[in-house]
Amino acid sequence: MMTKKKSIFTQEVIVGIVLVALYFFFRTISADFGKYTTFLSMMDISYYYVFMAIGVAFPLITGGVDLSIGTGMICYALAGGFMIRQYGWPTGLAICLSIVFGLAIGLLNGVLIALMGLPPFLATLCTCMITRGLGSVVTGSFAVPWPTAKQPNGWFHSIFKITLENKTKIPLGLVWVILLMLIMQFVLAHTKFGRYTIAIGSNKEAAMLSGINVKFYHVMVYAVSGLFAGLASIAYGAVIKTVQPGTGAGMELDAIGGAIVGGVSASGGYGTIYGTVIGAYVIIFLKQGLPYIGFNANMQQIITGLVLIGAVAIDIVKRKVVK
Amino acid sequence: MGEVILTMKGIDKSFPGVHALDHVDLELRKGEVHALMGENGAGKSTLMKVLTGIYTKDSGTITFEGKEVEFHNTHEAQEAGIVIVHQELNMVGDLTVAQNIFIGREFKKGIMIDDKKMIAESRKLFDELHIDIDPKAKMSDLTVGKQQMCEIAKAISHKAKVIIFDEPSAALTEKEIEDLFVIIRDLRKQNLGIIYISHRMDEIKVITDRVTVMRDGGYVGTLITEECTKEDIINMMVGRVIYEDPKTHSMVPDDAPVVLKVEHLNAGKMVQDVSFELKKGEILGFSGLMGAGRTETARALFGADPKTGGDIYINGQKVTINSPEDAVKHGIGYLSEDRKRYGIVVQKTITENSTMATMEKFTSGLFINKGAEKKAAEQYIKELATKTPSADELVVNLSGGNQQKVVIAKWLVRNCDILIFDEPTRGIDVGAKNEIYKLMNRLAAEGKSIIMISSEMTEILRMSDRIVVMCEGKKTGEIRIEDATQEAIMDKATRDIN
Amino acid sequence: MEGIKQNPIVKKLGFNRIILFCILVLLYVAFSIAIPGFAGMARIMSILNYVYFLGFLALGVTFVIATGGIDFSIGPVMFCCALIAGYSLNTYKLPVAAALLLSIVIGFCFGIFNGWLVAFVGVPPFIVSMASMNIAKGLGSVFTKTQSVSWPQANDPEGRGWFRNLVKVGGVPTGLIIFAIFVVILFIIMNNTKPGRYILSLGSNKEAVRLSGVNVRKWQMLAYVICGTLVGIAAIFFVGAYTTVQPGLGDTYNNEAIASCVMGGTSMAGGLASIGGTVIGVFVISLLQEGIMALRMTKEVQMIITGLIVIVFVYADVSARRRKN
Repeated sequence: MMTKKKSIFTQEVIVGIVLVALYFFFRTISADFGKYTTFLSMMDISYYYVFMAIGVAFPLITGGVDLSIGTGMICYALAGGFMIRQYGWPTGLAICLSIVFGLAIGLLNGVLIALMGLPPFLATLCTCMITRGLGSVVTGSFAVPWPTAKQPNGWFHSIFKITLENKTKIPLGLVWVILLMLIMQFVLAHTKFGRYTIAIGSNKEAAMLSGINVKFYHVMVYAVSGLFAGLASIAYGAVIKTVQPGTGAGMELDAIGGAIVGGVSASGGYGTIYGTVIGAYVIIFLKQGLPYIGFNANMQQIITGLVLIGAVAIDIVKRKVVK
Repeated sequence: MGEVILTMKGIDKSFPGVHALDHVDLELRKGEVHALMGENGAGKSTLMKVLTGIYTKDSGTITFEGKEVEFHNTHEAQEAGIVIVHQELNMVGDLTVAQNIFIGREFKKGIMIDDKKMIAESRKLFDELHIDIDPKAKMSDLTVGKQQMCEIAKAISHKAKVIIFDEPSAALTEKEIEDLFVIIRDLRKQNLGIIYISHRMDEIKVITDRVTVMRDGGYVGTLITEECTKEDIINMMVGRVIYEDPKTHSMVPDDAPVVLKVEHLNAGKMVQDVSFELKKGEILGFSGLMGAGRTETARALFGADPKTGGDIYINGQKVTINSPEDAVKHGIGYLSEDRKRYGIVVQKTITENSTMATMEKFTSGLFINKGAEKKAAEQYIKELATKTPSADELVVNLSGGNQQKVVIAKWLVRNCDILIFDEPTRGIDVGAKNEIYKLMNRLAAEGKSIIMISSEMTEILRMSDRIVVMCEGKKTGEIRIEDATQEAIMDKATRDIN
Repeated sequence: MEGIKQNPIVKKLGFNRIILFCILVLLYVAFSIAIPGFAGMARIMSILNYVYFLGFLALGVTFVIATGGIDFSIGPVMFCCALIAGYSLNTYKLPVAAALLLSIVIGFCFGIFNGWLVAFVGVPPFIVSMASMNIAKGLGSVFTKTQSVSWPQANDPEGRGWFRNLVKVGGVPTGLIIFAIFVVILFIIMNNTKPGRYILSLGSNKEAVRLSGVNVRKWQMLAYVICGTLVGIAAIFFVGAYTTVQPGLGDTYNNEAIASCVMGGTSMAGGLASIGGTVIGVFVISLLQEGIMALRMTKEVQMIITGLIVIVFVYADVSARRRKN
């Protein structure tokens, strides 16, 4: 038996091709799709999804999942915005709160799953409900607006988008996306944390027998997911501006779907952050482009659901064939 | 061979109901390859588990490098320099070779793992051992043989002084075994002490210096490889006095109809071109060592695992069996080896387990006739003398022997004509064993046909009318009970250069 | 304590279920004391309204959990059924009986979809649930063009409101009678029929059942089909009590249904399920939400409490099993 020849057509490459193909497909359907304004608005909504996707890739690679990222993001955004609005907190502090809140819930998930032994989908389903409730309880069920770009404490908008003197806007957020992608890919491929994340997903027993503190790293994986949901909440506040309690359910599917389409294995052990980001953008392109074919937001929900199942089914069939 | 590096003296270990190790001795010298041989259940694995700290011994001493030691887990053993290369490899498939070798103790450059250094160190390791593996390759892409080489390299990199190989050649090709031997000879030159557990006579002859034989948990003796013959070793492995009379001749007439004919059954490496017949009223014993492929053959026949080729005839008619559902419909029942994992449904009662294969008989439409069910279960509780307060007892609360009886009852309720018993009395006390033997004989006398897979020589000789011997996926022999002896069976069960 | 546990009556009814029932009673007493005017028929009828639809959801998902799987698409699927059937009723003038049947059929179809993916394709249940949940939400919205749907009132001029009699006739809670009948039927199915036997057994040890010659995939899928069908029925009781359904909602009921199951003794690991326990659990959750509303706390507080309940009970189940091993 020879060792498998490495094809250059890895899932990541295929997804990249799909992304480009989608772009041209929607472009031909409507010239609108190629416009700069369309590009800008697409970038805007992409940031929080991509952050969530990067974060959730880690639990997925361990063979688990984090369903709390969608409602969690809303909860953290509500908390931060609420502090600014109600208690006059400086924006910077509120941003820290959102991020720390995300980290805290992530740690909670980690404890429930890695230390207490609850099944990942169940534990994160519960924290999903809990964060949904918390968000509303804290803000009294009122929508919470984050400061607009024009306001003095709205400086954080320029993290994601800057307006030049000639009125053109530049999607700076894309730079952060790429930066985070590179950093987290580095973490995954070249640090102990990333290495052990893969080991846990591939063969937890072997990892334990090799003397790795599996419990610690397993908890940390969910902390990372929570942290990125926290980061996503900042992007959300900057882009969507007014955060509505009770929203967020279903967003995790787009993030998780993006990761799996991008090559992260639903059963664990494999994944790249490059693929995750490209996959997330495939989902976003679909969301942006489908209206041009007459598929509104609701049809998109159906389609993204089917895309997720399709991606997983393909993954399963691939495994059976290799066996 | 140099000085003694490891001595195990008077090792004793018991588990509830079984005396696994009975005052076993073992001596290992530096620069020696020492074979450890014995039948299944002789205690070889248990002895090694005691050595590497997985089990705690009840009594006896272990002396390593002149000091008395007791390890409490594999880490302590590993730190001291005693490493075991398992049969089931403990590798992380999705990581590379180099990453696996240094897992848990990665080289770091600041926060970053120094993969380059790990690759370089792995290369150095492989060069020293004359192994040709690319450290950058993904572990799951390698053949089992190469994965094992990695495990060996990993063991060496832990600065091992004693390496234990547990059936290392089971999954290797001829070429890979040669490579393995080159490495072992190298290690011997470096003055390591090597324990080599294997059942392959030819390998023992080629690579080892001494052979220690165990039998039924006890120490039989140690021979110098050069000075002994295969027969000597076999005699030590099986040389027991059999108190129960072996069956001397079969009551099955020569012209009894053939109820099951299997031709050219193929299912991967473990089932290679296996053909045999089963006559009505016969008990066909399947003998062989662990890894011979008997269970795999049974499972392929039963449709539990996919097969790549082969024809099955029942009562002369060709049948298609692609799932257990098919097999059961054609009247075959299969009692698996691991009853806890594959035999019983733990959350259910004796009654419910007993009728699991025969639900159609106890349902009218959709509804279960619980009265009839219970009566059937009780009938077999009585017949098999299953010890239980009632038929409504949860199976998980019964002892091993009684659980086995429930699984047997399941197939009796189904009234299968062909029964495959896979290690029917494993882990069962003597009293229950005899009851199961009586039952099997009665079934055969009633005209049922039985395939009995067993690793217990006494059982094979006592129960079988004919014996099929398998070795590494192939059928190596067929012996009538009149001509069967332990030696003859063992001869066919162990690999030989012919 | 051990003595009580060994008592034959206690064993038959289930020690945990009895405790849960006591908790139910205590809760009711506590709420009645803390909230003036809580005790009384009005509140009880309101609680029952919640019990019906949640009960069908929870009973449905009990079958799925019994196989060791999960389905948290049930809430949105219920809404999808109610939306599509209701829209057809209002806009396409479908007769009420047909609309009711349509609701059940839609739920049934989702059950087949979910069951086939889990049992025959091998997609992990949580992924199927995630996708189904979104598909159900999207489907419901697309069909009704994102509008909410109101089912006919009791005094509907065209007489279409007769289906509300399924819930209540005057002061008689007919819904309770129907629910009770279903509970009995489902209990019988789970404990006295072949499908129930296979479903529970495969949840406990799928391979052992397969090796006994049973086509396990078929029965695993059936559990999801039963669940989907019951979800379709739940939709009927939801609109019977609450009239209006909005697209895009339904998630919260997922957790409440699962909470009812785990409280009642159904194990997430599969193989162990209790219809009676689920029913008591449903009553506890329904009572809880009524009490929380009466205390002027929000639905969101309920969400948090439900989430905590599930965590506590599943952890108890997990540690109990760990100890046994």
